[in-house]
Amino acid sequence: MPRQTPLFIITSARPRVGKTLIARAMAEYFLALRKPVRAFDVNPGEFKLIDYLPGCTLAAGIDDVRDEMALLDRLIVADEAPKVIDLSHTLFEKFFGLLLHLNFLKEAHRRGIALMVLFVADADERSRRGYAMLVDRLPDVAVVPVLNEAVPPTVAYADNFPPTRHGGPAVVIPALSPVVRGAIEKRTFSFVDYAAKTKDGTTELWGWIRRTFVTFRDLEVRLLLGDMPKVPPLPKLPRAPTLPPAGDPRDSADRFNPSGRPSARRRLRWR
Amino acid sequence: MAKPAVVLVGADKGGVGKTTVSRALLDYFVAHNITTRAFDTETPKGTLKRFHPNITDIVDITSTSDQMKIFDTLASAEAQITVIDIRAGMLAKTLESLRNIGFLDAAAKTQLTFTVFHVLGPSIASLDEIRDTAAFMEDAHYILVKNFINNTSFFEWDPATYNSYFKKIKDAHEITIPKLNEMACEQVELASVPYVSFVANKALDGQNAAFSFVLRGYVRHWLGNVWAEFDRIKLIDLVDVAQRKSSAKQAS
Repeated sequence: MPRQTPLFIITSARPRVGKTLIARAMAEYFLALRKPVRAFDVNPGEFKLIDYLPGCTLAAGIDDVRDEMALLDRLIVADEAPKVIDLSHTLFEKFFGLLLHLNFLKEAHRRGIALMVLFVADADERSRRGYAMLVDRLPDVAVVPVLNEAVPPTVAYADNFPPTRHGGPAVVIPALSPVVRGAIEKRTFSFVDYAAKTKDGTTELWGWIRRTFVTFRDLEVRLLLGDMPKVPPLPKLPRAPTLPPAGDPRDSADRFNPSGRPSARRRLRWR
Repeated sequence: MAKPAVVLVGADKGGVGKTTVSRALLDYFVAHNITTRAFDTETPKGTLKRFHPNITDIVDITSTSDQMKIFDTLASAEAQITVIDIRAGMLAKTLESLRNIGFLDAAAKTQLTFTVFHVLGPSIASLDEIRDTAAFMEDAHYILVKNFINNTSFFEWDPATYNSYFKKIKDAHEITIPKLNEMACEQVELASVPYVSFVANKALDGQNAAFSFVLRGYVRHWLGNVWAEFDRIKLIDLVDVAQRKSSAKQAS
């Protein structure tokens, strides 16, 4: 059976949510596995990924047909080499519209190219709408929400990005402290080099790399498995009893129950 | 016996996309499993034949022998439909010849099905072409084609004037050929293959080709829109293929 060609598109509907960091870490993850990864920096006017990984990255755009050919004719090649795209939020709608217009998804499926879209979320309403649009327009594609803890508070907006049938639930990218962030933003910094050279497995950065690479491994497995099993709904828990307001006058038996069992009144509420 | 079907594609002006329409029609019929033959009247070197060499013959529509080659074989030909790509400036003359040889009378007596695709240019002169052509169209299916493949703008036309011409013709239809990306258009020309072969990434000999995925995607989308226009006017019903198919089944 021919092996699949993984294609990861890292995108968002909003700027400054950490797309390039995730794309860069993912490209390095494949480099660590000694896979011939090809990265595409689709951020016209502000290319960044190519600065960090010039050896395996191509700056691309979709401004005209020549640009589209330079990008998509490479993406559609089933060469088993993993491909990672850092897609600008400004081209978010246009890019996926183009994929649909050119029947890219069907052709990719036919050629054994496994596509996964990593949508980096944030609290903005435009992100929620962008994600909903993506899931609606690409029902057969694995779309995975990415909750970047560097864009807090993730708990406040995580519910805006429900799991998808093919992509499964959201993945979390841990936040880095400002000092470590400053270190990794140097053009010469490499996650793989750092992980290979460091002897201290307890540093913040080593832990971040380990956790992030395990997440990428999980995403690879999801792609390999294809359809994700439907996520079961959370079991319904009984509602907690309503506590009386402070200072509510009650008799002593209600305030203190020496047997430890709920009183008759409380049992009734539990039912 | 099933009626022969003839589809004529023409215009009185050059460069308006007659051959484009003919090629899209041939692809459409092939996609519907309808056996088709074509005649290219661009003598001596036909454009249509370059794209569909196996089913196309080059003829001189003004010569009697070539007219016999086309029209005397309508009933005996294996092909269910005959598509004729008329050279620029020859549409009205060809229709006149067809009237003279009794072809239009045969269409009137429903002995055959006759459909004309009149590809319009953007100039006001095209409206006069409609008037001239309409005189022959009483017993044919008349389809006016607005071709935007080269981003033509029909700016010279006043809609009211156009409608006054259009409405004079009984049972006329109008279809629109959308714009195709210039580079995609150019690459299909260079490849010299039918649109469907280009989309399927096949060379003329059936071998796998290396056409750009992006350009193939543009052509696929464009061809889908053109065929949707043919579907909209129920072209298959117009050329009476359904009846021909059922007759063939009965015969077998």
